[in-house]
Amino acid sequence: MIMDIKEKETAGSSIYVPEIATILKIEEMSQTEKLFDIRLDDQKKQEKFCFLPGQFVELTIFGLGEAPFSIPSSPGNRDFFQLCIRDTGNVSGAIHRMKAGDKIGIRGPFGKGYFPYERMKGKDVIIVAGGLGLAPVMSLIKTILEDRDSYKRLVIIYGATDPSNILFRKDIEDWKKRDDIELGLTVDNPDSAWQENVGVCTNLIPGINCTEDAYAVVCGPPVMYKFVVSEFEKKCIKPENIFLSLERRMECGVGKCNHCHVGNKLSCVDGPVFSLWEIRNLKEAI
Amino acid sequence: MLYKVLEKNGYRDFVKSLISGFEFIGPVKKDRAVHDFKVIKDFKELDTAYIRTTIPPAKKILFPPDEELVCYEIGENIDVKPVVESGEKILFAINAWDINGMNFLDRVFTTDFIDDNYKAKRDKLIVIGMDTEPAETNFSPSVGAEFATGGFDLYMHDIGDRYFIRVATARGDGLLKRYAVVKDAERNDFKEYDRYMDNYRGRFKLDVDIKSFYDDFEVIYDKKEFWENAAKDCYSCGSCNLVCPTCFCFNVKDDMELNLKKGEKTREWDSCMIPDYGLVAGGHNFRPTKENRLKQRYRCKLKTFKEKYDRYACVGCGRCIEACLANINIAEDINSVKKEVSA
Repeated sequence: MIMDIKEKETAGSSIYVPEIATILKIEEMSQTEKLFDIRLDDQKKQEKFCFLPGQFVELTIFGLGEAPFSIPSSPGNRDFFQLCIRDTGNVSGAIHRMKAGDKIGIRGPFGKGYFPYERMKGKDVIIVAGGLGLAPVMSLIKTILEDRDSYKRLVIIYGATDPSNILFRKDIEDWKKRDDIELGLTVDNPDSAWQENVGVCTNLIPGINCTEDAYAVVCGPPVMYKFVVSEFEKKCIKPENIFLSLERRMECGVGKCNHCHVGNKLSCVDGPVFSLWEIRNLKEAI
Repeated sequence: MLYKVLEKNGYRDFVKSLISGFEFIGPVKKDRAVHDFKVIKDFKELDTAYIRTTIPPAKKILFPPDEELVCYEIGENIDVKPVVESGEKILFAINAWDINGMNFLDRVFTTDFIDDNYKAKRDKLIVIGMDTEPAETNFSPSVGAEFATGGFDLYMHDIGDRYFIRVATARGDGLLKRYAVVKDAERNDFKEYDRYMDNYRGRFKLDVDIKSFYDDFEVIYDKKEFWENAAKDCYSCGSCNLVCPTCFCFNVKDDMELNLKKGEKTREWDSCMIPDYGLVAGGHNFRPTKENRLKQRYRCKLKTFKEKYDRYACVGCGRCIEACLANINIAEDINSVKKEVSA
């Protein structure tokens, strides 16, 4: 009677049941962000926990609530995965008060839209991230670096409000040492020790040399997209090769609660990564 | 589909046996203007000649306002269990557009991921449809929802001295075999039914010019004055969502008992017209104004799911028009979009 039913193997299950997971390690990244190493308690499920760059999980703090977070770690790491979380809401505030060994709940990974790293092979890749927007693109950067020879130029532009807010410092230090990454760092409010660029990320895009078949990726605060995209377009990068991670309010992560609509699309199941072509006519998107 | 005929004098016995044999939910008169779907124990309570119910029956039963999804116990380990409740029920005398509303919810809750909590309830719900008189705010034919082709077990059309019954499932067929005396519909019954349906369709008076809305909406989208005017009186109260048979937005929340040992995840209805609907942690609101939110509601109702499932997320029941304290009228607004673009 009901259409589109695929019979499920297990009866009495629910898509809202989280898997129990343990926080293995917590690393302070800035005053407001921490990086959590997380492993599912069920070893078989952890081994099967594979995700694609750009996907996200729903994190439950039992008794308090649930919120979506993208996964910044490498998809190749099957021992554990990471979440980079800013202390800004109920759930994120609660996990900031937790310690290694504490239990949390995980659902996912979710999202059909991811960064198409396979298609990017043999092409230039330009990644622009602002603030916490570095987290969702980290798994793409790691994926590319693990198979660096398959890609052409890799340009990473990262902007933060001030030097103390720069995330993933260890990774960035490593990138600086490599000659196969073109790295541009910029902050809005420099301190006396700051030697890199000052201003918004957008300023650094005109200086990039890239071919017209390059791929471009952007993730950051909502205000940033329009400006970055228009710079990409000036470079004649095709709209179908520009990818954006669009994050919205999500309650369920599985396309039911309807909160994360971006025009006619749902960020949780159709995204969170969209090509510019897909969303260019969706008025609310960027 | 099978077609059967039940003589009117067999109706009472049929319904009475259903009432005594099942948890039976049907329309009960609440006051002069409104009916409500309730559990019925006595045949006398049942009143199928209703025009309005405030809250759509299917929504109350399949997607209750506050529903436990998961429960957990925190001890040395955390024990998490799904809460999937389903008991067999009969939903009696639900009309075609509300069945179509339920069919829409079926698509939402079973596409991409299957929502087990919803599906368990739906699978156990025996649906018996019946036509009702459309209210003057009803525009179901404009959105193709005045007739249900599926989503029910039995559909009973009152064609005079007998019911013409469409039998859509073996479960429905079984009910008739067990509790009623019916015969196969014949040529003459079809003739009566056909005449009845023509008359039924003619009773819908409100016509909405929706055919070109899909594209016209995009032209109107950026027209600030249009939306300021359409939404100017909106209180952002969410009444329109509350009474809608297809609205399904919800929040998921975690709650603990005071002993901090037992907790649950529940979902509760949300509304896209309420200001914090698009609010995210950190304070950014993706839809800060009532114009943004009204546009989103219309897009969701009339475009999004037309694209996804080739059907509107609106069955034209007119409940939102009646519930709106600010007289915002979806039917008029659809027509205005058409007028604005073609002018």
